[in-house]
Amino acid sequence: MAGWPTDRAPMRRISPKPLLLGAAGIAGLLAFWTLMAFWLRDGGGVISRLPTPAAVAAELLEYAGADLWRDLAASLEVFLAGWAIGCVGAAVCGIMIGRSRIFAGLFGPVIEALRPVSSIAWVPLAVVWFGFGFTSKIFLVGLAVFLVVVVYAIDGSRRIPGDLERTASMLGMTPMQRFGALVLPGAMTEILIGARVALMSGWGTVIVAELVAADFGLGAHLISVQQSYDVAAVMATMVCFGIAGFIMNAAFTILEARLIPWRAE
Amino acid sequence: MSRMQVLDRLVLPVIGAAIVLGIWQGTIAYYGLARIVLPTPLEVANTLWKLLGNSGFWHDIQISLKEFFLGCLIGCLLGIAVGVLVGVRQDARMVLGPVIEAMRFIVPFAWIPLTVLWFGTSLTGKVVLVAYAVVFIMIVTTARAIATVEPTLMRIGVMLGMRPWEIALKIHLRAAAPAIASGAKAAAAVGWIAVVAAEYIGASAGLGVMITNASMSLDTSTVIAGMIVIGIIGAVVSWLIGVIAGAWLNH
Repeated sequence: MAGWPTDRAPMRRISPKPLLLGAAGIAGLLAFWTLMAFWLRDGGGVISRLPTPAAVAAELLEYAGADLWRDLAASLEVFLAGWAIGCVGAAVCGIMIGRSRIFAGLFGPVIEALRPVSSIAWVPLAVVWFGFGFTSKIFLVGLAVFLVVVVYAIDGSRRIPGDLERTASMLGMTPMQRFGALVLPGAMTEILIGARVALMSGWGTVIVAELVAADFGLGAHLISVQQSYDVAAVMATMVCFGIAGFIMNAAFTILEARLIPWRAE
Repeated sequence: MSRMQVLDRLVLPVIGAAIVLGIWQGTIAYYGLARIVLPTPLEVANTLWKLLGNSGFWHDIQISLKEFFLGCLIGCLLGIAVGVLVGVRQDARMVLGPVIEAMRFIVPFAWIPLTVLWFGTSLTGKVVLVAYAVVFIMIVTTARAIATVEPTLMRIGVMLGMRPWEIALKIHLRAAAPAIASGAKAAAAVGWIAVVAAEYIGASAGLGVMITNASMSLDTSTVIAGMIVIGIIGAVVSWLIGVIAGAWLNH
């Protein structure tokens, strides 16, 4: 259907105004920050020390030349392992609960009771159970992701239109065929939405887990520079967290378009 | 209730809870786990009961709740104000959009060490952190809700001679209120857990301090009891926001 006029008006010229105003916003923030840094230089008020953006950038470059990549790899490894385990576990449990009344009755309330206890609250318990290592963090991230995704999985596997199910059974599809052709793709759409929401809760959990149970990773670095009162390095590490989160989100958008092309509009 | 409903809503959940408690108890018996690894459900219930009669425990709850409510209040008011501005005025959206997007990716938990450096273990640090956690969720949900408000309503407002701030307050905010209320629910959940996380790293009192101290002294039963309390408070806060929003919207 190429060539047909759509409401999106493909020939519209991109106006430079939003870009300019956006750049002005960012520049304004940096200018405000710099001014505050100079104003607070001699120790003003509660904020004991505020480095300039330039100082933070210099610190960031220095960190990038040193241990950043090792720390980032350690954090990402924990995150990806926990996220994958959480998503798969949630998909299996969610589809079981969503498709079976007995499972829903048995374990639905258990999951509902667990959900308000955020995975962050599990940190001290995970430390007792698994110590300060890799397992502890994977458990926490997996739990955080599981509790988010399972809701979407239950919802998605229940939302298969009844007409389609009746048609499928009328056509003589076996339960296994129906599961593969209807339930799984239907639930998968919702599960992937949940997986995206869980990106940020999982990443936040990595941070807290590493802050508390620090051995390796960005969070461990953050705590160690904090303990040496190096505000510029603390802020540089925070920027790293932000950039990593942003890249994850962008990467997932691309992945999502590949996995469920019928959703990408 | 029909027999099916009794089965679904009463019998099966009780069996489900019994299965979970059975696995819990069974794991302890089978592996011979020590109390410091996993206390029995009964021990946890007992600890919880003892905590309820302990004044230090209520003091911890009070500290955490105070930090949470102050932060939430500031974050919600600021977030709704900026959200309305960004939602109504396109130029404001263009200027503030990239800044908000950039800040949003620095999750609140990454701010904890910095707030400790700046504000020490004081109340201010936690309030700032909770406000930060809440404010971006509120800005984004408010702005999104306002973008979907029927434009005709706004034109009627203009026709009736309302001033821009009146339109923002009486039309946009009112029409967007249900979406803002559900945003506040999500924001409160994040804010509550941010309090707990902040108390792990730098605080002298509060629920987060209580469970980390218990964890350090291997008092696992208190850790689990504390987690249950954190969960209950989170659920109650979310339920309260729903009730208040419902009452206000039907008003």
